[in-house]
Amino acid sequence: MAKHRGRGFATIEYPTGMNQNGDPSQAWIKLKPDGRVDVFSGTVDIGQGSKTVHTQIVADTLGVPYDWVTMDNTNTDSSAVCTGTFASRGTFIGGNAVRLAAERVRERILDIASKELEIDPSDLEIADGEVLAKGSPQKKIGVADVAGAATYNYGELISGSSTALKPFADVDDATGQVEIEPHSAISYAACVADVEVDDETGEVTVLKMVQVYDVGRAINPLLVEGQIEGGAIMGLGLGLLENSYPYYPSVDHRGGEFGAYLGPAFADLPELDNVIIENPSADGPFGAKAIGEMANNAQPPAIANAIHDAVGVWVTEMPATPDRVLAALKAKAEPRRDGKRVIFDEQLSVRTVSSNGGEGYWGVEP
Amino acid sequence: MRLTVNGIESEISSPPLTPLLHVLRDELDVTSPKAGCQQGGCGTCTVLVDGEPRRSCLTPVAAVDGASITTLEGVGEPERLSPVQAAFYEKYAAQCGFCTPGMIMAATALIDRKGGPVERDEVLEALGGHYCRCTGYVKIVDAVMAASRGEVGDVQDLPVSEAGEPSVEVHGSPA
Amino acid sequence: MKAVGARLPRYDGVGHVTGRTRFVDDVRVGKTLWVKALRSPHHHAAITRLDVSKAAAMPGVHAIVTHEDIPRNVYGHLEALGVPGDEPLLAAEDVRYLGQPIAAVAAESEAAAQAAVEAIEVSYEEKPALFDIRKALDPDAPQIHHWGNVYPHYGSYNHRRVRKGNIDWAFEKADVIVEGVYRPQAIEQLPLETQVCTVVPEPDGRLTVYSCTQAMYFSMGVVAAHLQWPLNRLKFVGGTVGGGFGGKVDTATDTICCLLALKARRPVKWRWTREEEMLCSSTRAPWHIELADAVTSDGWILGRRTLTIHDAGAYARFSPYGLTKHAFHHSGAYTIPNLRFDGFVAFTNRVPTTAMRGFGVTSVSFAVETHLNRVAEAIGMDPWELRLKNANRVGDTTGNGVTLKDPSTVPVTLAAAERVGIELPAEYRAMTSDPRGGDLLPEHLAAQQNLSELNGGGH
Repeated sequence: MAKHRGRGFATIEYPTGMNQNGDPSQAWIKLKPDGRVDVFSGTVDIGQGSKTVHTQIVADTLGVPYDWVTMDNTNTDSSAVCTGTFASRGTFIGGNAVRLAAERVRERILDIASKELEIDPSDLEIADGEVLAKGSPQKKIGVADVAGAATYNYGELISGSSTALKPFADVDDATGQVEIEPHSAISYAACVADVEVDDETGEVTVLKMVQVYDVGRAINPLLVEGQIEGGAIMGLGLGLLENSYPYYPSVDHRGGEFGAYLGPAFADLPELDNVIIENPSADGPFGAKAIGEMANNAQPPAIANAIHDAVGVWVTEMPATPDRVLAALKAKAEPRRDGKRVIFDEQLSVRTVSSNGGEGYWGVEP
Repeated sequence: MRLTVNGIESEISSPPLTPLLHVLRDELDVTSPKAGCQQGGCGTCTVLVDGEPRRSCLTPVAAVDGASITTLEGVGEPERLSPVQAAFYEKYAAQCGFCTPGMIMAATALIDRKGGPVERDEVLEALGGHYCRCTGYVKIVDAVMAASRGEVGDVQDLPVSEAGEPSVEVHGSPA
Repeated sequence: MKAVGARLPRYDGVGHVTGRTRFVDDVRVGKTLWVKALRSPHHHAAITRLDVSKAAAMPGVHAIVTHEDIPRNVYGHLEALGVPGDEPLLAAEDVRYLGQPIAAVAAESEAAAQAAVEAIEVSYEEKPALFDIRKALDPDAPQIHHWGNVYPHYGSYNHRRVRKGNIDWAFEKADVIVEGVYRPQAIEQLPLETQVCTVVPEPDGRLTVYSCTQAMYFSMGVVAAHLQWPLNRLKFVGGTVGGGFGGKVDTATDTICCLLALKARRPVKWRWTREEEMLCSSTRAPWHIELADAVTSDGWILGRRTLTIHDAGAYARFSPYGLTKHAFHHSGAYTIPNLRFDGFVAFTNRVPTTAMRGFGVTSVSFAVETHLNRVAEAIGMDPWELRLKNANRVGDTTGNGVTLKDPSTVPVTLAAAERVGIELPAEYRAMTSDPRGGDLLPEHLAAQQNLSELNGGGH
């Protein structure tokens, strides 16, 4: 009876935006007479931080200080359409909506500044809240003065709106082939898990996880780390602890109490090491791809592979609870070999469990 | 019954077995303690009762008659954050923010009790019954340890910095 | 000074750490009624009698709604995408899962609402229930839907298909075929904020909906469809949510609260208990995945054959979408020239499953990545090298025919290996995402290309 250490890893990919697209996000932005910026977007912040990321994108697209930007995502009267916060679409699609709207606002600022400075808009740039002549920055006007002139002299509300939308990708139902990309970008990640397996109790402890994420561009690295760490612990829960139906497919012993459900807690926290890679997306705001959804996908297989590395058994029904690990250790199952076939898990297969060998599933046309 | 909540004394009219959580939220309109599970399982309803952290969902109000109650509203103001609040803010220890009230109350009690720097194991122990689904706990542990050491800045100075360059060169990229 | 790339604290962080952020449960509106629901006590049954008259006459009860009060009771979450609806907002004839809502009450207090729920007269005739998706198409399986036990609308097919290259050639040509079964489980989204909603009837006839939805416009569309209303009669207020993780994409409370607010002419509030959240709200889906990989002894994955069954629970919700996403990513971060995928959305008498972080892909990532280690073991190859060898490269084509522009399988894998001190051979350390060079271009890929062309695309 002993504790065994093992290491496993996994490399994964995940799409940005709703599968098959067709999921618009819209935004509109207006300037107050002192140049301060109001952003209206329907993107819901479920904790991932879209209010922060969107205001960062707007500040840099316009060239104004971050604290000039306020965001209203509170209601459907003042904000335009956002399909929703899911499918890792907030930063890419919601972010592109505010970026494109901000670019239109920027054009209006430059137009009015051009009249005030008598310089062609193409020779102007905006930085730190000031419109400057390229090459001769002493010729300048504050964005606040531009907004004031627009409001009181030119009779214009400086505003801009836009929609980020990729057209719906039809699928050939016979072959699954698509004519256009059914996503906005693809993010990649790898996770290495070090575990300790107690062969007496079957208990698995995750000691450390190293995680590498290509997010295209980290608009806010602090928030990216938050996704990596939160996702890691959720992935640990998936790999080892959580189950709505402890005796699935049976519905018996389903717990209705918070304390009856094994969500990961402080005590389960392993050492985490995060690496962020920036391989920019051609189409994302500032090159961003996404991270939120994929963040709990790499840990479960990394943990399963680490358990195999530690004690030589495969647990392919999730989660790898102590009873499953002990059962696997007891069975010490070897795959069945049939010619060049190496067959694992036959007892779990539809062929075994269905009363007619799973004919309804396996018997479809080629 | 009477309670002093965040320094303000009030007469309580709810029935004696009403959970303290409901008295705070529904009678006194003090809404930072959240009804996360109302089973004592998640910790987000935690308040300080005479300085000690308690689950307000499991505490009948009669059991704390006359006590002094501190909720997150009483810990600091938006313009004057406590060290624990400032550390949670700076270190991104709150994502959706729903567990945050209980976390900060428990952390505040831990640091007050210890009276000096707390170690990682002490944080895991003191906050062990508090649940967070968003953060993975890492930045909460960091925030509590930093707060206990006074390692927090002035939150009015937003830490805007120059954009970082990609940390790893990637071949085969279109950009 | 740049904001992009900076480690800025949360925009709303001060509100969070001072307890000032206002979540839906913190909204205070005078004269608000509490909502409670009558839920099915059976996994599968016919409703033979439903009489709310006694409950409606109880003190403090202001409104009760059943299926008869709903302008359009059956509306599918994905109808806008062509997925027909199958789920009633409130059960009319059959209940298909334990906890399915049948009626809802608005009353002066939580206790009065609960008492009225218990006074609703309802009778059932129990039916056999189905829980194992592997048996859903068995001849003797209990029948759950008018559709049968699998979702039937992938064009003319009852399953999602992917066909790429020539799968038979790959399995014939392979040195080794590795087969395995992977069963990712259902879990709770488990946000700390349970489902919650407050609806206020406004003097101009509009409804203000304080919602914890992850998708205000989507939920507004769902409510408008059930009510058969134009969008300008609804105002959704939200945008700040106490955790979602996918579970708050379902429109769980909003529509019923709207119906009750209209009928009672009073503001109403419904906050699910933790028990309801755990037992009656949708979970992540359990999946059953069978993989067979055709590989060469030197580590090229020639082909993959996949059977996937997605446990949708009692109704489709987002499952047809999730399965398609799963299908599109079933080759993982690797380029496999020959694929045959057949995926089914199967119904069971459990709570409908829905979106959760990684929807559709978490399951297949587990299957693929665990399976690749078995493949590596079967052919005696290092699992890092197996992955790098078959990694997505710029210009490679995915299973559904998409050309990859900026894949990162190689850089993330190499960075992870380096971070933990794995010493890979120089030829692997030197790999990039650039298209494979002549030396590395495997003979079988070229051969496959020729064969595909000869077969007119190889399908």
